[in-house]
Amino acid sequence: MVGFDFSNHDRNLALHAKGVPLPKATSTGTTIVGCIFDGGVVIAADTRATSGPIVADKNCEKLHYIAPQIWCAGAGTAADTEFTTALISSNLELHALSTGRKPRVVTCMTMLKQHLFRYQGYVGAYLVVAGCDPTGTHLFTVHAHGSTDKLPYVTMGSGSLAAMSVFESQWKPQLTRDEAVKLCADAIQSGIFNDLGSGSNVDVCVITNEKATLLRNYITPNVREEKLRDYRFPRGTTAVLNEKVIKREDLSKYVTVHEIGDEQPTTAETMDVDTT
Amino acid sequence: MDALVAQYSRPAFADEAAVSDDQLELAQSMPPLSLKFALPPVAQPSSWLRSMTDDYSNPNCPIKIAHGTTTLAFRFQGGIIVATDSRATAGNWIASQTVKKVIEINKCLLGTMAGGAADCQYWLAYLGMQCRLHELRHKRRISVAAASKILANLVYSYKGMGLSMGTMCAGVTPQEGPALYYIDSDGTRLAGNLFCVGSGQTFAYGVLDAEYRYDLTDQEALELGSRSILAATHRDAFSGGFINLYHVKEDGWVKHGFNDTNPIFWRTKLEKGEFSNVTADIE
Amino acid sequence: MGSIFQGAPIPEGPGYSFRETPAVRQAPGPSSAAGERQHGFYPYTDNGGSTLGISGADFAILAGDTRSTSGYNINTRYAPKLYKIGGDAPDTPPIALSVVGFAADGAALAERLDTIVKMYRYQHGKPMGVAACAQRLSHLLYMKRFFPFYVAAILAGLDESGRGALYSYDPVGSYEREQCRAGGAAASLIMPFLDNQVNFKNQNVPGSGQGHALEPRKPYDLPRGTVEELVQDAFTSAVERHIEVGDGLQMMIITRDGIEEVYRDLKKD
Repeated sequence: MVGFDFSNHDRNLALHAKGVPLPKATSTGTTIVGCIFDGGVVIAADTRATSGPIVADKNCEKLHYIAPQIWCAGAGTAADTEFTTALISSNLELHALSTGRKPRVVTCMTMLKQHLFRYQGYVGAYLVVAGCDPTGTHLFTVHAHGSTDKLPYVTMGSGSLAAMSVFESQWKPQLTRDEAVKLCADAIQSGIFNDLGSGSNVDVCVITNEKATLLRNYITPNVREEKLRDYRFPRGTTAVLNEKVIKREDLSKYVTVHEIGDEQPTTAETMDVDTT
Repeated sequence: MDALVAQYSRPAFADEAAVSDDQLELAQSMPPLSLKFALPPVAQPSSWLRSMTDDYSNPNCPIKIAHGTTTLAFRFQGGIIVATDSRATAGNWIASQTVKKVIEINKCLLGTMAGGAADCQYWLAYLGMQCRLHELRHKRRISVAAASKILANLVYSYKGMGLSMGTMCAGVTPQEGPALYYIDSDGTRLAGNLFCVGSGQTFAYGVLDAEYRYDLTDQEALELGSRSILAATHRDAFSGGFINLYHVKEDGWVKHGFNDTNPIFWRTKLEKGEFSNVTADIE
Repeated sequence: MGSIFQGAPIPEGPGYSFRETPAVRQAPGPSSAAGERQHGFYPYTDNGGSTLGISGADFAILAGDTRSTSGYNINTRYAPKLYKIGGDAPDTPPIALSVVGFAADGAALAERLDTIVKMYRYQHGKPMGVAACAQRLSHLLYMKRFFPFYVAAILAGLDESGRGALYSYDPVGSYEREQCRAGGAAASLIMPFLDNQVNFKNQNVPGSGQGHALEPRKPYDLPRGTVEELVQDAFTSAVERHIEVGDGLQMMIITRDGIEEVYRDLKKD
């Protein structure tokens, strides 16, 4: 079946009326910006994801791929921005294949607004869409209720006012690529430092007619300092009441095991961990 | 001569019976309602207060007051056993695991606290003061009945304002012997042999009622009080921490420790074979 | 879905109250979980931030971040939550108070307590002890039982034998002397850390036994250097995960020589 599953709607409404709080979605109380320059467009975002007042992710990615030369920055409910952009990305690819043309930014924007309008704001995705296509360079904002804007520089999210203050004081027509990147990064930093919903690092994506370049963690102004003390516990600090050893040959009773033989295991991706 | 003496001396216990100006003095020594306590400038202070502080009717209230408890006290052949846990919760947050919920009013009188921690702490301290004043006025210790009634009348005068307390007064006086009273913020005042109060009361009653006899030895009674609190801390999420044990005897109360529940639990399980539903087995 | 089980005991569910206050139900709306809101009178703002206190053998440390917030905004990056109580006459025993919650209530409370401690000195010709000051603060809070101060207070000083003394309070004045306490927005992040590192909760002495016989690690008086490091680590970590904590860390170290004040920067994002 296609679309959303509403089968728990009535149940959840009844639970809510009884006083059970709704489950908390991770929101990217965010700063995202976009700015057009001569020959392309820049979008940028901070990397903090929050759940209420708690930082859920210190280095999340808010710049989403839609098409090779269309990227999108998302604010609002994290899951909604992620899935909405993935859905439209997928549909746009099919559309590009059936028409045999490069996808256009307006098409993407229209698909997004139609999807969001249909769900009357309940899909909480607030997006900045930017890209280059045969008709030129474009920059849009799309609100969760379905309204859109087309402007030379835009900001969204909880840090939008802080970021806009940078644009309003420093933006000028005919920016170079480097100026636009600097301007966007400054706007994001303004959000990072002045808006509690935004924080950590600056991600930037530059899109020109030739290519799109994602500058992940372009600026990292909030590196965690070294802890003063060592918090490793000596072995034996925790009481062990019982132990059970599962032998390698018995493993298949519990999980599915695939033998990979002598091939070198490949590392797909390494996880970010605190080294201290 | 006798007349002359009578003129310049008063009988030793002239104040024994509560005379009217004595009562007046007592009444005036109570804090007046609106002069001493600041009230919010709204039409219904109590409902405003509830919306701000009652996490039961409004889980998202901004001010969370410390709550939650198991306390018990029972009379037996050797006096009175008073036992409590030591956990204070504010909403779902465990505010403290080391609360002293038995309040030592004087060397023969104990109060327990359940409900609002501040309410109990403040008013039982106030009760201690009134008891001491009574002692000074009347040259003898206050009866448990009278002490409990001071508290009951006090909370009754604040009825509906949002006080929350469920307390027990346990003590021994020559007139009454060992006496036990239950007082709560609704104004209830009950004399009795056995009470459990607080969110874990049902669990404590379960153990206490099953094993209670009046002719328990001192050792058995202390063990039973401790075991009842243990049962409550095991099943009630809002109770836990340490077991605070007191024994009220004819010549005053004796403290029997403030002991961590965790080792007590494992000792009870491993040495006596109780709590067999809890296992450390794998699978 | 874990959050469904995080709420307070749900009405009509298993729970307990001395007063069965029937919640006034409203039609389920977007933000009305339980009824009884709709009061026009809301005199409080949560100014965020966090405080922390640890007491040692001959000192006590109070610390608080200096950020003041409302909603997603930062009011100021330097608004101290720590107050010195009772002036600094040479023979006055040093007492410090930290208040977190609604900053205006906190300032009012600190001012009242300061006045009381000073007046006590003028009237009695001797300084107020920390135990008396602690009880007086409890009464100050309780006097507003029906219109509470929206604060979590921690009072620190030295007791009559010169040991560090730390008292923590709930908004209406219930108080207790403790070894350590965290208050405010990040209390739930810092307090478990303190339980483990100051009182050594959930720590055993390796090799002291097997299974249940393993002996719990006994707490002892931590030296001042260790405590200062713990305080800073607690705050730099809280800053990482709580959006309302940051900007600066103010510490007051109370020793028999007086109150030493230390300030250091914290992350500003």
